[in-house]
Amino acid sequence: MGVFAHEYPNEAGIVRAALASSFVALLLGGVMGLIQALHRTGYVQVIDDSTYYTVLTLHGVSLAILFSIFFLVGFFQWAVTDSLDRPSEDIRFTKLWYALMVLGSIMAAVPILGGFIDQTEISADVLFTFYAPLEAHPLFYAGLAVFIIGTWLAGIDWFRSWWAWKQKNRGEKTPLRTFMVLTTMLMWYLASAGVAIAVIFFLLPWQLGLVGGVNPLLTRTLFWFFGHPVVYFWLMPVYMMWYVILPKLAGGRLFSDPLARIVFVLFLVLSVPTGIHHQYVDPGISEGFKFLAMTNTMFLLLPSLLTAFTVVASIEHGARQRGGSGYFRWLTDLPWNRPAFTGMALAALMFAAAGFSGMVNAGMNFNYLVHNTLWIVGHFHLTVGTAVALSFMASTYWFLPKITGHKVFSKRLGLVQVVVWFIGMVFMSNAMHRIGLAGEPRRTADPFYDGVTFETSLGTISELHAQIALGSVLLVVSLLLFAAHILLSWFNFADKDAPTPDTIPPALSGPEHAPAVLENFRLWTAIAIGLILLTYTLPIAAIVSGNGWFGPVTTFIGDTSSFLTGLFHAVFGVIP
Amino acid sequence: MEIHRYEKIWFGVAVLLIVAFIGTVAYGAVGAGIEMVDDDGGTIDPNNLSDHERFGDTGVHQVGDGEFEVNMIAVHPSFIPNDIEIPEGSTVTFYMTASDVTHGFNIAGTNVNSMIIPGQITEITVEFDESGTYGFVCHEYCGSLHHEMEGQIQVVPEDEFGGDA
Amino acid sequence: MSSGTEHEASPDTLDEPDDVWEVDIEKQIGHDEYDPVGTLSLITVYFLIIAFLWVFMYFVEFLGRGPTVV
Ligand code: HEM
Ligand SMILES: [Cu+2]
Ligand SMILES: [Cu+2]
Repeated sequence: MGVFAHEYPNEAGIVRAALASSFVALLLGGVMGLIQALHRTGYVQVIDDSTYYTVLTLHGVSLAILFSIFFLVGFFQWAVTDSLDRPSEDIRFTKLWYALMVLGSIMAAVPILGGFIDQTEISADVLFTFYAPLEAHPLFYAGLAVFIIGTWLAGIDWFRSWWAWKQKNRGEKTPLRTFMVLTTMLMWYLASAGVAIAVIFFLLPWQLGLVGGVNPLLTRTLFWFFGHPVVYFWLMPVYMMWYVILPKLAGGRLFSDPLARIVFVLFLVLSVPTGIHHQYVDPGISEGFKFLAMTNTMFLLLPSLLTAFTVVASIEHGARQRGGSGYFRWLTDLPWNRPAFTGMALAALMFAAAGFSGMVNAGMNFNYLVHNTLWIVGHFHLTVGTAVALSFMASTYWFLPKITGHKVFSKRLGLVQVVVWFIGMVFMSNAMHRIGLAGEPRRTADPFYDGVTFETSLGTISELHAQIALGSVLLVVSLLLFAAHILLSWFNFADKDAPTPDTIPPALSGPEHAPAVLENFRLWTAIAIGLILLTYTLPIAAIVSGNGWFGPVTTFIGDTSSFLTGLFHAVFGVIP
Repeated sequence: MEIHRYEKIWFGVAVLLIVAFIGTVAYGAVGAGIEMVDDDGGTIDPNNLSDHERFGDTGVHQVGDGEFEVNMIAVHPSFIPNDIEIPEGSTVTFYMTASDVTHGFNIAGTNVNSMIIPGQITEITVEFDESGTYGFVCHEYCGSLHHEMEGQIQVVPEDEFGGDA
Repeated sequence: MSSGTEHEASPDTLDEPDDVWEVDIEKQIGHDEYDPVGTLSLITVYFLIIAFLWVFMYFVEFLGRGPTVV
């Protein structure tokens, strides 16, 4: 195999474009993060308290939605084309979904940015969760919808490639990377249906005055139907990196290919019916449904715990092939001087820590301790903010040469960058967890109250604030290093040569050992849908019977509203 | 399929860990008696709160010996009421709802933590055994002044309690 | 690739993105000759940390503080 950029120039172009979009969002979001961290700790306040929420919306949307998903589609496009070894079936279609995603991003960004300009009425200060009845400009919701439709078409594109490949390779196992892409996309179709329904059937009609109101608990529940599995959407490409790239970088081979497939199938089946764990302390949902969501959530730990074993074992295999020995001494025989390896390994280490705070969040009544405090923010800066973001950045050092056709600027600079991110996040996240236990709320511009004090057992609140501020500065330094490095590499300032083509070594236990039933995507999707119906039908029925599809109906176009309500009842059947 | 022995061991341990987690939480619910916020509070029309028997009459009400009810409306950027006084050792049931958007309610440093959602009534019962001042905040973004939304519960020794506020 | 002599710490070679697979592998280890004892050790340590933290956080931090919703 040659270099990807030369073999598949059109596809490489799309991958480059997707990565570029992703990095623009990362840089923008990161700078917003710094403003927030310094503002809410009281160190530097360059914006008004009320503008804080515009900044936070921009941070959440650009990082959690745009950065992560643009990177994902770029990476998946490479994974599919490279592992099936065939070009896109129709590159115009590939360009179409990318263009839709860009269009959607711009549509959503315009009203958010409008929030900075006092002269305009246009704004979207609703944070990335946009809980109704908070209202954003309709363009915001429409943009999100267009963006998501773009990702749906991307999935179709990859399925088309796979079907075409299958015609020529009957009876063969789907290559691992494509298998991972397809299971991830199936999960995504199920998950994003929740938010699409919320936007298209409830939020936009409500905003456009077609229906009388909105049922806030219903749209909130639909949001979290999507909001939990979306974290797996961020994570599954990272798992792919950890399974496929990390062992190779360590000088080893993936321990077990079949187990990797099982893990992805488990994610497909279990990711969606867990969203209610974000609503443990919501009124209007009974304890039984919450307990059920918790049970699913806890079992969803299983694929991650299995991943921990398989990935570490694959890395250890590399260390031993490089001459490592002992129970722990082999750790020193890993290529720690390589930024791609080190960054991803540190990201995985952070994810292990995040696993623990996630277990606390998941523990139903345990959630009283931490819900909506800064602990949660500390938690997800370890997961999406590091396990995902740092893996994406680190893998870029390995990945970029394949799609640009020349080596990256400097490995040492890359190494410094990933280590600084890690250190910055240790400070910021640790302090956030602890200050959250003291009760400091998240999403709060100025958490200094007249009548409320926060107390922490070790140290003081102001020390913790200092750590958050310090961490955020380090993080942004790391981010700027990354941006500079990418620019220097992209335009090849150091005039580097073409990369030596490399291949991914086969797994120790290969795909031939995987049971054939794993390839039965229909079966797994059906089981996933079954579980979703089991966990969601009754809670949604209860929410709707309490307050209607569109909230307690007000006068506004009351007739249209009751007509649509009737229509919904007919369509959805059973619910009174 | 080849699965290494160590991996089988880890699988078993992982399942045990998960079961132990669920067991702990179940113990907290049954053994330690921690209730979840649920649908007991019922629903309400957020546009007509003043007509409602509870929310037409916000504030603290003594309903029995050492038992109080607090009827509270959250509306950006205030809690109504935001200054609550009760005697030490009382059991307080909070009934909370929102007239505008979604809010949160967290008594800082305690395990009292819930959402307040328009159309729903959050009903939670809390025992205050120790006197002191308990500050609470709104922990869900609700508008440009969200960070100003706070209140206090004064838990005073029995003999200092001024009575039904 | 022929340069099998990369020195880990030498800054000059840091910039060579040579495939670790081509430069550093001393011996190939197959599935049946490989026992991931290091992984088992690490994961045992992780398990102990998690189990301890869980018990501490639930029974001391959480149940140990009040008031709580009853
Ligand atoms: C430059 C590094 C970063 C800094 C300094 C930073 C800082 C912060 C701070 C201080 C908050 C809390 C704001 C509040 O609740 O009041 C926050 C929220 C958040 N951050 Fe970051 N962050 C960084 C990177 C990231 C990354 C890489 C991601 C994801 C890929 C991310 C995702 C989020 C999300 C989703 C929120 C929640 C937004 C919300 O509550 O609506 N952050 N960040
Ligand atoms: Cu979740
Ligand atoms: Cu608020």
